[in-house]
Formats: sequence, structure tokens, C-alpha cells
Amino acid sequence: MNPSLLRGPFVCLAAVEPEEIANAFFRWKHDMDYYLPLDSDPPTLFSLHQHKSWEGKWLERGPSNDNFFFGIRTIAEDKLIGFIAIMSIAWQHGDCYIAIGIGEAEYRSKGYGSEAMNLMLGFCFNELNLRRVSLTVYDFNERAQRSYHKNGFVLEGRIRDAVKRDGQRWSWLCMGVLRQEWLALQAAAANPGEQP
Amino acid sequence: MSTPLLQGELVRLVVDTPEILAESHARWALDSEYWRLMDWSRAYTFSKRMMQTWFETVNEKNTGFFFSIYTLAENRLIGDIGLDGVNWSCGDSYVGIAIGERDLWGKGYGTDAMRVLLRFAFQELNLRRVTLNVFGYNPRAIQSYLKVGFQPEGCQRQFLLRDGQRYDVFYMGILRSEWAERYLNNTD
Repeated sequence: MNPSLLRGPFVCLAAVEPEEIANAFFRWKHDMDYYLPLDSDPPTLFSLHQHKSWEGKWLERGPSNDNFFFGIRTIAEDKLIGFIAIMSIAWQHGDCYIAIGIGEAEYRSKGYGSEAMNLMLGFCFNELNLRRVSLTVYDFNERAQRSYHKNGFVLEGRIRDAVKRDGQRWSWLCMGVLRQEWLALQAAAANPGEQP
Repeated sequence: MSTPLLQGELVRLVVDTPEILAESHARWALDSEYWRLMDWSRAYTFSKRMMQTWFETVNEKNTGFFFSIYTLAENRLIGDIGLDGVNWSCGDSYVGIAIGERDLWGKGYGTDAMRVLLRFAFQELNLRRVTLNVFGYNPRAIQSYLKVGFQPEGCQRQFLLRDGQRYDVFYMGILRSEWAERYLNNTD
């Protein structure tokens, strides 16, 4: 068995204290490079007090079978740099939606998010035994798409003109990865000589 | 009546404060291997706050007796052991144990703690039997339970699915008479 399901060379997935994640969300959401690609709702900023009250309540309840939420922490400095979560789990079909955000700007585009995604996919496929993982991403967010591709996600559909921002229409891309596809990628990474 | 009831040769059992338990358990849960050896529910991590909320009520009912395991040598908190789901009418209980500190795996601390807990179960609670389950991929634990005196009683075949592989869950149990024969030299 894999001895470190939630720990990679550079990041680990870990529970967060309510206080810590409230502070982080409050700060990260002021960065529109973080907030806009993450959500289609109008970006709304809330007070630290509101964040503490929500995140506190929600994290104190403990785990549910509907969603799983982790903080992404660096191994080197034990620094909270983002979050990753799955939601809308359809247990009977073995599908879920995944969301990820790297809140600390200086940790973007350096592979931390990709590594966290790979750990989370391991959690989905080898611990929760799901069959597939789905996500949506904006068409303008090419950096995220490249990262998802690296982890085996393929384009499955396009919700055309889903969002209008700054007078411009944007589409959502639907991407998904199947358990077998992800396992094949892991095997290829472990034996780089063989072609997948 | 001379030996301290909750003390063994290597460890003693302590009812700890929720703050201390929260810190250690939040840390141990980061280790997915620890979790998968301990529990058949999905490995997950927990904040200290979450853990503390859970521990604040853990010993409130008289169907659960939860202890921390401390080493005698260094007075170090290394794991926990507890009776859970005590069925008073039948005199049975489940036992669960986990050593969170990896550097002390395979060194006899768990075996010693289990002996102490069985003495508590049979001599203080006067239970009739103690039950446990253990996973097919945990031969170290099975060895420890056999050493203590648990008998294999049954198996849920291919119950677990982990990393794409199926594993059995084994049931083991020990009767008071078996325990007494081994540890008291009388069968009561």
C-alpha cells in the first residue's frame, strides 16, 4: 500500500484550523487573479469576522460524506498556500467535482498545484475508490488547463458563453479524468522508459 | 490488588485532556498509513479544533473507555487504546488500538498496552469477552493480538478496497476464561 497517500515531495494535504483558513481566505480573496477564475459569482469580499464565523462553523462539524476539504501546505516551510476540495460526490456513480486554488501568488505556476491535484486524485481513486473526477475551468485560464492536462484530465465539453464579465463572454470547459487513465499515468511516471 | 491496574511493563494508560489529545491526533492523522492500519473508513485529516470537539465527549457514555498510551521510560504519549461499544447485557466489547508515533511501531508497546487493557476489561469491568477486527494487510497487528491471546474467529472476505486491491477483515476475540488461564493461572 502507498504509505503516504496525502504527502508528496513538495506539498501535503492537511486539515486546517478554522482560524488559519479564515485568515487565508480573507486575504486571498482580495487578489482577483485568485478569485475571478475560481468562481462565477460576482466577487464579493467579506469581513474577517464573517469568514471566521463561517469557516469556524463549517470546519468544526468535521468530515461529511458529501465533501472533503484539505489545505495545501508546503513540506519545506509548512506554509498554507492553497486549498483543494471535492464536492457533489455521487457515490452511486463514483463521480465527484474537484476544485483547487493556490492563494499565495508566489507559489503559482511552480508545480505545487499540480502536485496537490495528483495527491488528491490518489485520494479519490485509491481511498474513496471513485470512478471519475470532474471539474470545470474557464477557457481563459490556460495555466490551470495545462496543469489539469498534466494530471490526466481531458476536455469533455464546453458550456459556451457561460459567463459574462467586463462585457465579454467566456466559456466553461468541462474536464474529467477516469481512474484507469490516472493509474496509467502513474505507472508511466514510475517507469519513464516505457511508453504509456 | 498490588499492581497498578493501568500500568504494564512498558506503558501505562491515562485518561488525557482533550487539548493534548487534539494536538497529537491531528498530527498522527496526517500519516495516511497510520490511518489505514487503524480504521476502515477513508483516511482523512483533522484539525485540532475538530479533534478536541470529539474528545470532549468521548468518555461521557458508559459504553466507551478511551485511554492514551504513555511510555513508562520517557512518559511520552505514543498512541491510544480503548473499549468501544461495550455491550453490558452480553458482557462483550470491541477494542481498538493505534500507535501514532511511527518510531515505536513493532517494539512491543501496543502488545503491552493491550495486555493492560484486557486486565482492565476482565478484572475491573468484569466483561465476558473482548472482540476486535484487524485488516488483512496488517500482519504486525495480527501477530501482536495472537501473542496476547486473541483467537481468530471469522473473516469478512474482500471487505476492504485500497489502492485497487481487495483485503479481508478478520475478527478476533478472547474470552475471560482464556485470558484468566493465560494471565491468572485460574479459570475462575
